[in-house]
Amino acid sequence: MTDAVLEVRNLKVAFPCAGGIIRAVEGIDLVTRKGECVALVGESGCGKSVTAFSIMRLLRTPPSVSRIDSLRLDGREFSHLTEREMEHIRGKDMAMIFQDAMTALNPVMTVGKQIDEVYRRHTHLGKKEAREQTVRALELVGVPEARSRADSFPHELSGGMRQRVLIALAFACMPKLIIADEPTTSLDVTIQAQVLDVLKSMQREHDVSALLITHDLSVVANMADTVYVMYSGKIVERAAVQDLFEDPRHPYSQGLLASVPRLSDEKQAFVQIPDTVPHPMRKPSGCYFHPRCSYATESCRERMPRLEAMPEDRQVRCWNPLGQEREA
Amino acid sequence: MSTSGDTPNERLLEMENVSVNFPVKRAYPFSRRRWIQAVTDVSLEISQGETFGIVGESGCGKSTLANAMIGMVRPTGGTVRFQGEDLYTLRPKAFKEARRNMQMIFQDPFSSLNPRFTVCDIIKEPLLIRGGASEDEMKARVLELLKLVGLDEEDLLRHPSDFSGGQRQRIGIARAIILNPRFLVCDEPVSGLDVSVHAQIMNLLMEIQAELNLTYVFISHNLAVVKNVCQNMLVMYLGKVMEAGDSKTVFANPLHPYTRALLSAILDVNVDRTRERVLLQGDTPSPIDPPEGCRFWQRCPFAMVGCETIPATLVSVEDGHQVACHLISGFSPEQKAAGLDQPATSQ
Repeated sequence: MTDAVLEVRNLKVAFPCAGGIIRAVEGIDLVTRKGECVALVGESGCGKSVTAFSIMRLLRTPPSVSRIDSLRLDGREFSHLTEREMEHIRGKDMAMIFQDAMTALNPVMTVGKQIDEVYRRHTHLGKKEAREQTVRALELVGVPEARSRADSFPHELSGGMRQRVLIALAFACMPKLIIADEPTTSLDVTIQAQVLDVLKSMQREHDVSALLITHDLSVVANMADTVYVMYSGKIVERAAVQDLFEDPRHPYSQGLLASVPRLSDEKQAFVQIPDTVPHPMRKPSGCYFHPRCSYATESCRERMPRLEAMPEDRQVRCWNPLGQEREA
Repeated sequence: MSTSGDTPNERLLEMENVSVNFPVKRAYPFSRRRWIQAVTDVSLEISQGETFGIVGESGCGKSTLANAMIGMVRPTGGTVRFQGEDLYTLRPKAFKEARRNMQMIFQDPFSSLNPRFTVCDIIKEPLLIRGGASEDEMKARVLELLKLVGLDEEDLLRHPSDFSGGQRQRIGIARAIILNPRFLVCDEPVSGLDVSVHAQIMNLLMEIQAELNLTYVFISHNLAVVKNVCQNMLVMYLGKVMEAGDSKTVFANPLHPYTRALLSAILDVNVDRTRERVLLQGDTPSPIDPPEGCRFWQRCPFAMVGCETIPATLVSVEDGHQVACHLISGFSPEQKAAGLDQPATSQ
């Protein structure tokens, strides 16, 4: 693929600890194309945030141990870069939007100063020019009275404004890739709609690829082009967003989609997936999802299926992928 | 404990013009005393056996309202009547008795369970406080409930840290219903949980309701859930009721601009990007010294001059549907003459 911006091959992350090894990410491949928004969906503990952090190389080693075959950004291999060299890439070529703006921002520094820093670090701008850029960046994400707001401290801003500041911070140097880790989870619905709107228009307008980490399928439906569904450290399905929502092939994706209550529904019982996510140290044999899967067979209990390519450029990790005929 | 001859329409809880204000700590000894108006002038009626939904964003006063219902926060004004008796004028003994019938399920299953207690201790505690039961009786009752909420006997001596979020919420539910309450407040019971266990907990709550004939107050910011489980509902914004009524009617015909914005802001799981969304500008203002007129006017896309100064009152628009909005209730001819129905231009 020539237009791939981010290419991850066989990423594995583990955390050795007292009782054994937690295999958080077990060999995943990810590709995002130019201008594309790729969503990584899964429940808590499935390894989606660990994936994001290890792509940014923000995981501390130890305790984490990671291995990766290849990590390319815009065709350039950087899995072997030193921490020093990574510092030049983070914030400039790829940047991250964190979940909780209150802890991601420095509480004793004005937000303007924090964005200035990005420009001062990665470009040759002087103090004054950097501030000009900062004000522009804040205006782009819809912060009213950006010039005076740049002198506020994070605690003086509302949740939605703080999240906008984080977006401005990430987009400051117009990176090639933005990783957004649950960017709106802590926000109210009406504010969430505003922030997603900003994020989407920034991403579209500047043709930046995005990797969106979330557990919220409704956010995925509204933002993503391609979706990777993750379960217990493995990708179980990859598909274009439309295909996944209309015709999920993996029983887990199907269950997730069915369990979201919809406004259009008439009153009914909630569709539930039985049981819970397996403990990361006690993953079941065979397919990790088989104890919760209503279609499980003997082979599911014994062997882990491979991520097989399917027609329409999608992949499914299942022995008995749901058929072409649509499930009720 | 609960009386058996309940008719389905019996009023279980009534609130009349309830307001709850909290004082703000003074900045200086003689500065003006300021109040957070968490809940302002809310009236509602909840019948036996129904599920009543309260919807709103964070800080709109929905949890404070629920706390006022079950006697955890004394309202600054108005009355709360539970089973026909004014809750806050009851003598301490009767108050305790009444509160036994009202319990709560909390949002965060991590902080609402004592980490040093075993599951058995946690679920048993209400019985201990009530007293009058032997150790064996209590144990038997705990086991019965454990089974009801889908946990095992062997979980009895484990600690909350051994359980997942969903299981902890089950423990919280068992603790809430052990005294056979009639009235249960569920304060965002699933928002702290994983998507795939949402449905499990919701179904469990519905089963328990059917089995024990409970009345629920269901607090949520998720309109889809409210639509699915509630018969009646109210939409709150900054401490005031914006729209209330039969949930079927409200969802079929949302009239208040805020309800509409809320409905359009929730992202549905449909990959339909053509849908026009009403995006609200700005943030929820602070409940300290809230706007004088309609609480919503600063963010309302249809705000008129009069909205700024004249509070909107709830008016009935159809059977089982009330709205507090000047767009619906209109202005009087004199007010119109003064130009109050002109679009506000301050935005």
